[in-house]
Amino acid sequence: MDPTTAMYVAQGIHGLAYGMVLFLVASGLTLIFGMMDILNLAHTAFFMLSAYFCYQFLSMTGNFWVALLLAPVVTAFFGILMERFLLRKIHAFGLMSQLVVTVGVSLIILASVKIFWGTESLPVKIPPILSGLVTIAGMEYPLYRLFVIGLSLVVLTIMALLLYKTRLGKIVRAAVSDPNMVNALGINIPLVFTFVFGVGTWLAGVAGVAIAPIVTVFPGLEAQMGMDAFVVVITGGFGSLAGAFIVSIIFGLLSSYGVQFVSSLAPVLMFAFMAIVLAIRPMGLFGERE
Amino acid sequence: MMNKKLQGILWAGLIVILILYPKVFGIYYTNLFVTFAVFAVYSVSFNLLLGYTALFSFGHAMFFGVGGYGTALALKHIAGLPLLGAVGIGLLSAIVFALILCPIVVRVTGSAFAMLHLAFGQLMYILALKLRGITGGEDGIGGFPIPPFSIPGVVSINMKAPENFYYFVIVVLGVSLWIMWFFTKTPFGQIQVGVRDNAMRIDYLGFKVPQTKAVVYVVAGAFAGVAGSIFALFQNLIAADSAFSIFVSFGAVINTLVGGLGSFFGPICGAAIMQILEELTTRYTDRVELVAGLILILVIMFAPMGFMGGVRILKQKWLARSASGVKLEKAS
Repeated sequence: MDPTTAMYVAQGIHGLAYGMVLFLVASGLTLIFGMMDILNLAHTAFFMLSAYFCYQFLSMTGNFWVALLLAPVVTAFFGILMERFLLRKIHAFGLMSQLVVTVGVSLIILASVKIFWGTESLPVKIPPILSGLVTIAGMEYPLYRLFVIGLSLVVLTIMALLLYKTRLGKIVRAAVSDPNMVNALGINIPLVFTFVFGVGTWLAGVAGVAIAPIVTVFPGLEAQMGMDAFVVVITGGFGSLAGAFIVSIIFGLLSSYGVQFVSSLAPVLMFAFMAIVLAIRPMGLFGERE
Repeated sequence: MMNKKLQGILWAGLIVILILYPKVFGIYYTNLFVTFAVFAVYSVSFNLLLGYTALFSFGHAMFFGVGGYGTALALKHIAGLPLLGAVGIGLLSAIVFALILCPIVVRVTGSAFAMLHLAFGQLMYILALKLRGITGGEDGIGGFPIPPFSIPGVVSINMKAPENFYYFVIVVLGVSLWIMWFFTKTPFGQIQVGVRDNAMRIDYLGFKVPQTKAVVYVVAGAFAGVAGSIFALFQNLIAADSAFSIFVSFGAVINTLVGGLGSFFGPICGAAIMQILEELTTRYTDRVELVAGLILILVIMFAPMGFMGGVRILKQKWLARSASGVKLEKAS
């Protein structure tokens, strides 16, 4: 294979890996929105928090797998606390209050991260098994990126099975379309909400750990990832998992090829894509009309 | 009648205080007041969207920044531009920018509107950082000449003196506030409130909802542009972090919520409260984010109607008490 094609493929892998991580974050966001009508602006703050937890667990135990297991769970715990003690109390106040409270939480997380870990970039080492390159069909790929793609696929498969093959998934899907009705049928909807919120933040947490070794961990991570994830959810359509998936992959590829060809304007490409989609379909690619 | 007179006296008193303010408090507090006035007008323009039309924008800083950059660029590149011309260019650029955006944004509501603005706001922030040739990147545009305020043949006032600049700012922002206040009192302002309360009904009554939203959007953007333009003149510098940053957008939200939603003067009170709080907190701690986050949560949890809401409740209680007092007197 000639070097040019190899370069294209390598960029494609980069884009795919980023797109998958993006989807992990965006899926949690869109799941929470679809179910609870809450746009959790603190979602990417949890993503960043999990990356910091990953750094912390890694420096305490030295084992990446422990960090991968624990960091998202601890993050989800904080998410559940937030749902239980803040969002549930203000649910009656309407959309704007929820947005503002989630912004407040994200500011507090940002501030606490700066207090506990400082503002400098913290490196997270790729575990030895996953570092290095792997050769497939005469081409070398960075193993960790392939691992990220694989991990995301596994997590998503589990989520899909949970959502479409279990009783719990059935309840969640029913609650997405009409929470009051499900509540009337004798199912404890507040508990289901808390569960979904926990799963959503857990997904953000997994994404945070997955991305920690690729980029360094620093407080700007939230803003960097945050915008992309929100743009994905808007463009894909609120509450639509399929839309989020497709747009995530498109954005991942756009950003990696964009950096290659028009490096200074790469961030703009995404917004241009979003503007075009919204100009044609205001509710997003797969969104339902309000 | 009595009420009108009292109001007249109050306004006259306010004007006297505003005129005497820099002489009494000195330069530091004068500059603080200018900052407050800029953010008060900016927050009021934001409240035109949120409080009067229920359009919740998380990216109002775009207009603030576009106005600021418009003025700064104009002063940098056009020699001999008069002061009001520079402010006018800031205003105009914000209007043009709002006109470009409004076909997309008036079609969405609620979360989508908020998110779209968050995204566009970040886009402008990134553009301001990346288009180094035009915007100067992180350093921004600074050191542009500040022309004197002059009416040819009549008067020319040097604007580099903080006191003169203070009066200029008070007049420009005062007029802006008055125009916005007037705007909400027109029949069109009533349609605007109608769109907030029941958009479908307004639609059935034969008014055009998206077009109404677009007009309000452009007006709100224009005055945010004026505030940004004054801010650029005041600092003699406009940079991405002070103009387009997400915290500038959140600032408008915080001011409006703290002051009270849906009341015209609420955001002004909010801006004053937040300015004082910021002044106090930065003296003791540099954790501005922590304080801002806590305030947001506490306000929503315990005072969802903000400062003006609290005032209104107190007023009602007081009125109820005096009313019952009157009844008692009659009964006896």
